[in-house]
Amino acid sequence: MRDDLVDLLWAALRQTLYMVFWSSIFALALGIALGVALVVTGKDGVLRAPRINKLLSLLVNSVRSLPFIILIVLLLPLSRLIVGTTLGPTAAIVSLSIGASPFLGRIIENSLKEVHPGKLEAAKAMGATPLTIIFRVLIPEALPALVRSITIAVIAITEFTAVAGAIGAGGLGSLAIRFGYQRFREDIMYATVILIIALVQAIQWTGDGIAAAIVRRRTRAD
Amino acid sequence: MSKKRSLPVVLSAFLLIGSLLSGCGSNNNNAGASSSAASPSAATESSPSASPSESASPSASAAQEVTLKIGAAAVPHAEILEFVKPKLKAEGVNLDIVVFDDEGQLNPALKDGQIEANYFQHVPYLDSVKKEQGYDFAVTTKVHVEPIGFYSSKLKSKDEIKEGAKIGIPNNPSNEYRALVLLQQQGLIKLKEGLTTYEATPKDIADNPLKLKFVEADSATLPRSLPDLDGAIINTNLVLEAKLDPNSALFREDANSPYANVIVVRAGDESKDEIKKLDAALTTPEVKQFIQDKYGVAVVPAF
Repeated sequence: MRDDLVDLLWAALRQTLYMVFWSSIFALALGIALGVALVVTGKDGVLRAPRINKLLSLLVNSVRSLPFIILIVLLLPLSRLIVGTTLGPTAAIVSLSIGASPFLGRIIENSLKEVHPGKLEAAKAMGATPLTIIFRVLIPEALPALVRSITIAVIAITEFTAVAGAIGAGGLGSLAIRFGYQRFREDIMYATVILIIALVQAIQWTGDGIAAAIVRRRTRAD
Repeated sequence: MSKKRSLPVVLSAFLLIGSLLSGCGSNNNNAGASSSAASPSAATESSPSASPSESASPSASAAQEVTLKIGAAAVPHAEILEFVKPKLKAEGVNLDIVVFDDEGQLNPALKDGQIEANYFQHVPYLDSVKKEQGYDFAVTTKVHVEPIGFYSSKLKSKDEIKEGAKIGIPNNPSNEYRALVLLQQQGLIKLKEGLTTYEATPKDIADNPLKLKFVEADSATLPRSLPDLDGAIINTNLVLEAKLDPNSALFREDANSPYANVIVVRAGDESKDEIKKLDAALTTPEVKQFIQDKYGVAVVPAF
């Protein structure tokens, strides 16, 4: 252990949290929109549109099939356009958000499909508009599953941030690679691993807690 | 009864057929292997008439010709090797050049015996990895230096580097150190005394009069991110691959840099005939001329 350990870890942790926080928010906005769109335009959806569904699905699969490092490079011009630079944590947020949103879209789609079709039928029979069905039935019914999906996605974004070191974004993953792996600093290697595990655990517990609270409140209401 | 008696006959018939088939098969394999080993060089090199003649007398050429498999980085390493390939062919060494996408795999591949030599690294890099990875390698000859240089899309000369300028540097250990040493040579920063390894980061800067800000990024990112920086220190191979003009460097390392790219083999192999022929072929005046003509200031012969 050397004296620079704490400084390095603290800076890297802040970079990781910064990237995970903002990327999660933007990816969530994009991902929920994508997931809802995939469900409602799909077969049995309330706004059935097979062509749009296929197009969206193709888009989601295309972005998901790219290795993240390639996606970062492809999105460099977009980063420059949006945040004015291609380097650093802020530039990484652009790629992270766009890279994670198709994944989020897919798992949100799966969560929404778990809603019992009978409930949607009932709402339709009562004359609810598609928008009402989406916001008053589909999303609220799927909420605990949605929270769990989002938890998975936030953890995936945390993993993605490790690659962002390539564009000078720093972060725990990059610290582990550059100092722990390439510079044989084992103190840093183990410390970052412990921090990353703790971070992922914290995200998982938070997600589980929120999901459980929703279920609890719902059973009480019932 | 008749069935029982016929069983040994049937079995032996199967065995016979089997042995015939496998005999045939292995003959085919041999033919296939020797022709495929010979074909890449024949195909890339010159006359189409060379390959039929070779396959017609595989035993004769196989006896004299030694195939030397060498792993290399794409530019300029593989190109320099391609240049000496015909000369080596004439000396009975069939140089099989394998370009690796991930240069990090070139040393493990050499250790595992998948290749007989590699050509992509400089001694400081090899030193930084060999102890930990347990490599028992020998350096046979220096070939070229790719002077690392300072590039900018905004500034025209070193004097234009202002206070607080944002400088991109590679984030892998040996090149980061090399970049900082170059900045020190240019008087822009001063590193701490007593750095023993070939490693340093901006934390090891003792004096930074211009308060330069450093962005540590992957080497391959730097050419793409030049517009977002006041300048960056970029390795020449990346400059070439990014189609930047290597002459546009504001400053660069000089030719006797310790970062010459070398041929590396497994320890003990350096006395092998084909390795000696390779070293001799790479350090001729013709190669020097070839390097100077083709790469100008970007690649400097180191022999």
